[in-house]
Amino acid sequence: MKMAGFYDESISNGLGWRAVLFCSGCPHHCPNCQNLEAQDFNYGQDFNEDEIMKKINDNSIIKGVTLSGGEPLCPQNIKDELHFVKRLKKEKPNFNVWCYTGYTYEELKARNDETTNELLDNIDVLVDGRFVEAKKDPDLMFRGSSNQRVLDVKECLKENKIVEVKF
Amino acid sequence: MQVIKRDGRVVDFNKERIVKAITLAMAQTQGGVDIDLANKIAGEVEKQLEGKGQTSVYEIQDLVENKLMGSSRKEVAKSYITYRYNRDIARKSKTKEVFLDIIGAKANDITRENANMNADTPAGMMMKFASETTKPFVDDFLLSPDVRQAVKDGYIHIHDKDYYPTKSLTCLQHPLDRILENGFRAGHGSSRPAKRIETASIIGCISMETVQNEMHGGQAIPAFDFYLAPYVKKTFIEEIKKEEELLDKDLSNLYNYSPKEYIKKELKGLTGEERDVQAAINNTVNRVHQAMEAFIHNMNTIHSRGGNQVVFSSINYGTDISPEGRCIIREMLESTYEGVGNGETAIFPIQIWKKKRGVNYLPGDPNYDLYKFACKVTAKRFFPNFINLDATFNQNEKWNKDDPHRYYYECATMGCRTRVFENRHGEKTSVGRGNLSFTTLNLPGLAIESALEAQEKTGLKFELGRGSEEKMTDKYKKTVKKIFMDKLEEYANITAKQLYERYRFQCTAIAKQFPLLMAGMWAGSEKLGPNDSVEPVLKQGTLGIGFIGLAEALTALIGKNHAESDEAQKLGLEIVGKLKELVGEFSDKYDLNYSVLATPAEGLSGRFTKIDRKKYGTILGVTDREYYTNSNHVPVWIKCTAEQKAKIEAPYHDLTRGGHIFYIELDGDATRNPETIEAVVDLMDKYNMGYGSVNHTRSRCMNCGFENSDANLHKCPKCGSEEIDTIQRITGYLVGTTKRWNSAKLAELNDRVTHNTGIKGA
Repeated sequence: MKMAGFYDESISNGLGWRAVLFCSGCPHHCPNCQNLEAQDFNYGQDFNEDEIMKKINDNSIIKGVTLSGGEPLCPQNIKDELHFVKRLKKEKPNFNVWCYTGYTYEELKARNDETTNELLDNIDVLVDGRFVEAKKDPDLMFRGSSNQRVLDVKECLKENKIVEVKF
Repeated sequence: MQVIKRDGRVVDFNKERIVKAITLAMAQTQGGVDIDLANKIAGEVEKQLEGKGQTSVYEIQDLVENKLMGSSRKEVAKSYITYRYNRDIARKSKTKEVFLDIIGAKANDITRENANMNADTPAGMMMKFASETTKPFVDDFLLSPDVRQAVKDGYIHIHDKDYYPTKSLTCLQHPLDRILENGFRAGHGSSRPAKRIETASIIGCISMETVQNEMHGGQAIPAFDFYLAPYVKKTFIEEIKKEEELLDKDLSNLYNYSPKEYIKKELKGLTGEERDVQAAINNTVNRVHQAMEAFIHNMNTIHSRGGNQVVFSSINYGTDISPEGRCIIREMLESTYEGVGNGETAIFPIQIWKKKRGVNYLPGDPNYDLYKFACKVTAKRFFPNFINLDATFNQNEKWNKDDPHRYYYECATMGCRTRVFENRHGEKTSVGRGNLSFTTLNLPGLAIESALEAQEKTGLKFELGRGSEEKMTDKYKKTVKKIFMDKLEEYANITAKQLYERYRFQCTAIAKQFPLLMAGMWAGSEKLGPNDSVEPVLKQGTLGIGFIGLAEALTALIGKNHAESDEAQKLGLEIVGKLKELVGEFSDKYDLNYSVLATPAEGLSGRFTKIDRKKYGTILGVTDREYYTNSNHVPVWIKCTAEQKAKIEAPYHDLTRGGHIFYIELDGDATRNPETIEAVVDLMDKYNMGYGSVNHTRSRCMNCGFENSDANLHKCPKCGSEEIDTIQRITGYLVGTTKRWNSAKLAELNDRVTHNTGIKGA
């Protein structure tokens, strides 16, 4: 997997201070994408899990990690993301994981795919859905357009229905 | 050929003027006038300038000086230089240019020295005229020769030099209880003791506004919650009495009732005494809220100090756990969160949360709920900042949780960072005390000079600045450090002496020159009569030795700054540690409270750099930017995590008892994420830092009220309006528009990194 960027710490990609991993490559091609260059699977540098884990372990201010991109959950990226998240949960059991995806939760469930399901089991909050320019709203929290949702994945899986995070 | 005169006028070249000047200089010497030599030199100068369309008086004078130095009459050169210097003093021709700039409301660095001041108003201009004319007066007549030279050469900078002749002191932490309980006289009116929250809050404003006119620095209230709490209770009783009248009922048994919490509740369903009490509480809370709103509004609108500046006001609070104190804190936070006018962020007062374990920091602490709220307010409004009372150096062992006056032993700060606490002439407290004056050392200037001397001494020759460390030998490093430390001591000594001289000058004032300040507000002044000298009480204040550009100085000395190498950090701590040690010696020598200050350098941030670049040229990592980094800060352009920054800057807090601050730049809108503010306070707690806050941007659409954290917001994404107001922080103060920033500070702003660049997040 290629990495389009990495934030050591950020306050605007989920609650609390979080590290943010931007993978490269995205199949959705939403019009007016804010990271157009990251749609290319060859953009950026190689993802080095050891290096990223070291940065995370050295920083006591962060309390979680956000997966962004690019598209972390597309077939080309998902295996590396899963490996990373499992290691993260092992080394930092108290960290929560947010994930931005252009797929909807329903699409991901419908995949009926082991890797996807295992990753969802390890994700706490999923911001799902493609970016839709016509539904863009600057007042929204942690997302760009109103069709996108901030989902409490644990509750979604438990209740087997859509549960959004309340702010 | 034409000559540009000092005042900008252009006149024709006249050789006779040169002859006249030389003969006048000759007349002052033993050898007397030699008209032939004078004619000869004037002729040579004219020849040398031949072909030039235009020249300046300065250029001609330099040529004359050189010719005289090369002639047989060197003593005439000396006389000529002295003559020229005296003429310069007499002329002060620069004044005219400066005045023209002020009149023309031109945005240059003279009128932009102070981002919070509007120098375009008549009162503002009047102040600038005065300011620009007193500075040269101070140089010529109030400074001793070695100090004057050190200032002129750019080694030291005397802050608020324009106020020097007025004998004013810098700042004060107001003991507000004195005037609230006793009333006071200011201007043409006197005020009786306060009886209710509205008057108490307004008296707080008046106190700061009045004393601001008597000083040259900021005004602060060290324990806002403790001081105003009694008036919440008085207001409650007043409300009970109103009910008595309204209901024609005796409720005097409730005068001594102590509400457990002043929180509004619906009256529906409440009966009897419970209802009477709750109604009074509801009305009290409303009145306290309005009083806090009025306080904020007043501090942002009433211009003091000649009518051109709002007060540089700060309030410290957070540790009063009484229901009344908590009410003050809660309503101040509420009002701040709501904003002024149509919900705009208030610039003043700077609010400072006094963070203390056992009181308000940990879950279970009595004011923990208000601390959480404070973080939420900071996320949206930049304030409150946080002073860490748990830092080892911010504690006073006399503090006792059952002492109703325990705030007296709590360290308070001026919003800008000035800290007054330790005291060799009385109790360790901030209350009723302040800084007398402060002067800043140019560390990069001293470092460059030391490096050049070390090269000479060791025979090494290389370009200074970033990347130079590979060329350095151990011997060179030892040599340059020794030279630098010696110079540091030399100029710290000059600074200490200068501060002492200013102190002696301040001591010649009598109490009535500072009508409110010296009538009981300044510690000990209650014992002074109007015509008494202020000398006996001035020793309660502090004398600050500040420094600028540690990062650039280290780069000049060893090729890297303290964020780039452990070796540089070690040296940085030695340098500031040396200053702290010297300040201890000065305190003993002069028997005064000297302290090291991590200077908040607004007007200064570009001045030293300009001087040094002119002297030494552009040096990579040293003089290659428009500004020097403030005090011991990690340069704003360095990419490092908040925790790395904390680790580097924290140890300097203990060394800089005259004041320090820790900042974190946020990469987005914390309004949605207040726990990130708590994380910054946690860093302060973890690394024993004294005072800190967050920097972020708030852009606001003046049309529809939309707000976000985009510093480059030019068009509102909601309504499309281009009326955008952007607030940022400059040396501790918030500034509503960057138009009032000077060029060096603007350059610094542009270099500030939020550490997350390239790819965009949410």
